[in-house]
Amino acid sequence: MDNFFTVAFDENTRRHIRTAAQWARIVALCSFISYAISLVVVFFGRRETVEFGGYTTTSSRAGSAIGALITTVIGVIINYFLYRFADSTVKGMDAQDSIKSNDGFNNLRIYFKVYGILIIICLSLCVLGGIFLAIGAGLSR
Amino acid sequence: MENNQQESFLQFHLDYDGGNTLKEAVRWSRFCAIVFIVLLSLFVLTLLFVGSTIFAAISQFMPSLAGLAGTGAAILIVACLIGFGIAGVLVYMLYRFSTLTRKGIEHQDQAAFSEGMRSLKNYFLISGIIAVLSLLLNFVNISKLF
Repeated sequence: MDNFFTVAFDENTRRHIRTAAQWARIVALCSFISYAISLVVVFFGRRETVEFGGYTTTSSRAGSAIGALITTVIGVIINYFLYRFADSTVKGMDAQDSIKSNDGFNNLRIYFKVYGILIIICLSLCVLGGIFLAIGAGLSR
Repeated sequence: MENNQQESFLQFHLDYDGGNTLKEAVRWSRFCAIVFIVLLSLFVLTLLFVGSTIFAAISQFMPSLAGLAGTGAAILIVACLIGFGIAGVLVYMLYRFSTLTRKGIEHQDQAAFSEGMRSLKNYFLISGIIAVLSLLLNFVNISKLF
């Protein structure tokens, strides 16, 4: 148990962690504002007409809204943990409070865990899509 | 020497819970970094080997791009290179954070732990700059309302 006691948060390390947390807070805040803006644009913006290969398509508002809502919900959840990491870690480092800094690291752990799980889900969906495409291509021959 | 020991004892240390939590955070960040490295490599290889075919296919559907001919391709290549460069540095920083912090905790290596935290700082610094730039781009998106 006393193994961990030799790794210290010296002045240098504390400075790095504090700066990391401050930039993490900027990332989280920018993301929150970006999600709000994209929701406003989707709900109140003009519908775009895109010309592609001689075809003209107009984006469906319902489709865009559902996509934006899903992205916003996932993004807000992830960035909430990032914001909490930033908040707790800065407080912990300033006050040299291990409970606060552990809480911050725990939020960083959840942030990376959610990211990892989302990556696994996306990769699985891509593999499934590839399999279905291959099956579809095989059946159409 | 006694003074140094006393100073080290009085310093703010990583405790057992914090160490375990950080080790799990590092495990997940390592997983993310490795997946991103593989994906980036696949994208680069795809662009290298079938990039011209992809560009020709896009040009067929978007005649305006085909009109640009060499310039369009050059702009696309430069944009891709810049994008891959930034993404590469970001992923490298995440990987360095995970390996160095893990080494620091497991081997009680203060220098490695500090370097790991420095990499985390650089990772969030680059992410922060990208986030601010994308926020500015989003503000441009608002102009679609008017």
